[in-house]
Amino acid sequence: MTGTLTDAPPPEKEAAPTPLARVRRFLPVLGSLQGYIGLVLVVLIGIVTKGDVFLNETNLTNAVGAFSSRGILAVGVTLVILTAGIDLSVGSLMGFCSMAAALLLVNEQMPVWQIIPLCMLAGAAFGLINGIGTSILRIQSFVMTLAMLSIARGLDREMSDNVSVGTQVAKPDGTLTPESEAFQKLGTPGNNVFEGTWLPLVGKEGIYFPVLAFVVVCIVFHLMLSRSTFGRHIYAVGGNPTAARLSGINVTFVIIAVFTLSGMLAGIAGPIDAAYSASADPLAGNSYELDAIAAAVIGGASLAGGKGTIVGTFVGALILTLLDNVLGLNAVSDNWQLVIKGSIVVLAVVLQRPDLFRRKEKIA
Amino acid sequence: MRRTYSVGTVAAAAVLALTATAGCSSEAGEASDAGDKNQDEFVVGYSQANNAEPYRAQLNLQLKHFIKKYPKLKLLPIADAKQNSATQVSQMQNFIQQKVDILIVSPNEPAPLTPAVTQACEAKIPVIVLDRTVNTDCYSTFIGGDNYEIGKKAGERAVKALPKGGKVAELRGVLSSQPQIDRHKGFADAIKGHDIEVSAQREAKWLRGDATKIMQQWLQRGEDFDLVYGHNDDMALGAQLAAKSAGKDKDMKFLGIDGLAIPSGGIRAVQQDKLEATYLYPTGAEEAAKAAQDIAMGKDVKKKQVLPTEEIMSDNAAEIYEQFDMSGKIK
Repeated sequence: MTGTLTDAPPPEKEAAPTPLARVRRFLPVLGSLQGYIGLVLVVLIGIVTKGDVFLNETNLTNAVGAFSSRGILAVGVTLVILTAGIDLSVGSLMGFCSMAAALLLVNEQMPVWQIIPLCMLAGAAFGLINGIGTSILRIQSFVMTLAMLSIARGLDREMSDNVSVGTQVAKPDGTLTPESEAFQKLGTPGNNVFEGTWLPLVGKEGIYFPVLAFVVVCIVFHLMLSRSTFGRHIYAVGGNPTAARLSGINVTFVIIAVFTLSGMLAGIAGPIDAAYSASADPLAGNSYELDAIAAAVIGGASLAGGKGTIVGTFVGALILTLLDNVLGLNAVSDNWQLVIKGSIVVLAVVLQRPDLFRRKEKIA
Repeated sequence: MRRTYSVGTVAAAAVLALTATAGCSSEAGEASDAGDKNQDEFVVGYSQANNAEPYRAQLNLQLKHFIKKYPKLKLLPIADAKQNSATQVSQMQNFIQQKVDILIVSPNEPAPLTPAVTQACEAKIPVIVLDRTVNTDCYSTFIGGDNYEIGKKAGERAVKALPKGGKVAELRGVLSSQPQIDRHKGFADAIKGHDIEVSAQREAKWLRGDATKIMQQWLQRGEDFDLVYGHNDDMALGAQLAAKSAGKDKDMKFLGIDGLAIPSGGIRAVQQDKLEATYLYPTGAEEAAKAAQDIAMGKDVKKKQVLPTEEIMSDNAAEIYEQFDMSGKIK
């Protein structure tokens, strides 16, 4: 990164049209091969040890649903990581938005279709500040978002008076208010959306909203990254900011945009998390940023920027959540779960080093 | 990083000191000999382990409420140690520097806070230890609930609820914390000798979301329970949510602990039939305020006050909620 164009990676040679080369060309889009190996391994362990109990729609839905809010955060974090930045504030932003959602529901009886856009707006506003601090004020993103982690948590706790807020608001006759009933659809266990409509794969039972939201967010952002000019600009900024600037990309705009999007995604994750535990806790989202970063990194994102995909992050999130599920189903003790999960992160990152089995690259 | 912190601490201390000087201006400024009835204001400092736990937030509200009943007591802004013992030690030292008249502390951990309490005693400041103990007995009074007793009562309820015996799931708080250890042991001792088996147990870290996930995994594994015992209401309610989504909540009974009088707390859950029972974990705020007043007036206080719990079931829930509801009473 000395500021000359010659530092840009050499263009890939036209691969010979062998089947293997074709698969290779798809890999950058689909994430890293090692990621899939990990996923397959976890699934195999699940099937071998627990069989039907593991490979069962309800179980998989529960597992992915429990991780969904963190998965959505991981998508935002991936965007930031692609520009060689980091976003440590997503957990706190999600906590803020989950509390905001619960308070809007309980105090204002606001319908859910108004709560979500408002939360997205609030999250995006925090993200915008992160972006401005990082790009215009030139504060390192680690420092800027670490500060935001603290600011958002403080506001969250102030707003809530440190008390959790339940989202199941009952009318005098004991039944839930219509707004609260609708809010449950966002992820309170036992509630699905699109019940009664016939859907491919799931039939008439409907879909568990957290799972749907996570998958849709992944698809939308995957398309944005892989198909749009903006997506290419994100990779360019992360790969070599100087080169990107020289080729006419508005680097400042790209950086502000990715932080804003990351904050906005925290705004989607917030209400889902509040619905999942039927209450917003002033501590909700604590250390979620670490799970989100872990998912991105297991999925092949490089903290140096320019490398990583949404599909990879999706796979990384699946590995983390299914691993947690398999360990839980097998009654592995919590202490060993921590050890195993940490080891998996290290293993995944080591496996993804392209130079692992080759000669060492010269240090730039 | 360190540097920033120390600058911050000094700044905070300076601000605190200024407030204190303003607050104590009527005093002569010497180390207070508590018990001087002619003094017209007694400054009370309170060091809280962590404001962000609902139980402790409720304690703070109640303490502010009950201290107001004694016009001579003046409570400084509550210092929040944010679950960090080192922070709490420095906050305690700030209070000692300010020469508060009475110091109340809810220690984050016993060992690290013991020297700070000793320092206060040496400065002749009477100390009220609230909720958790310290390893010295120089303090004036200890006020707290009895977690072992609470766990035992929950166990006795389980025995009554399952006359033919049965399977119990236990959702445990953070394993290293003393309340968790006591609530677990009390329950285990009470069900001993009865045909009740704790067939599944895990650490759900006091959190609702974690309890939901764990319960889902248990049910998925094919476990069946007759009763679920959560070391706090949040975990019991998280498990109830998971059981409900699997259509099994009516086959099980749920027991929680804490019984906070807030809309998302355990008492309301008992009223809504989500919990069979919850056990009041008393905050001790009312007793602490009274002890502070007694110390100020030079009266003797009991060295140790263990507060009784109360079993909250559908018949007494409304009344207890009313009694401890702080909404509208403060601010």
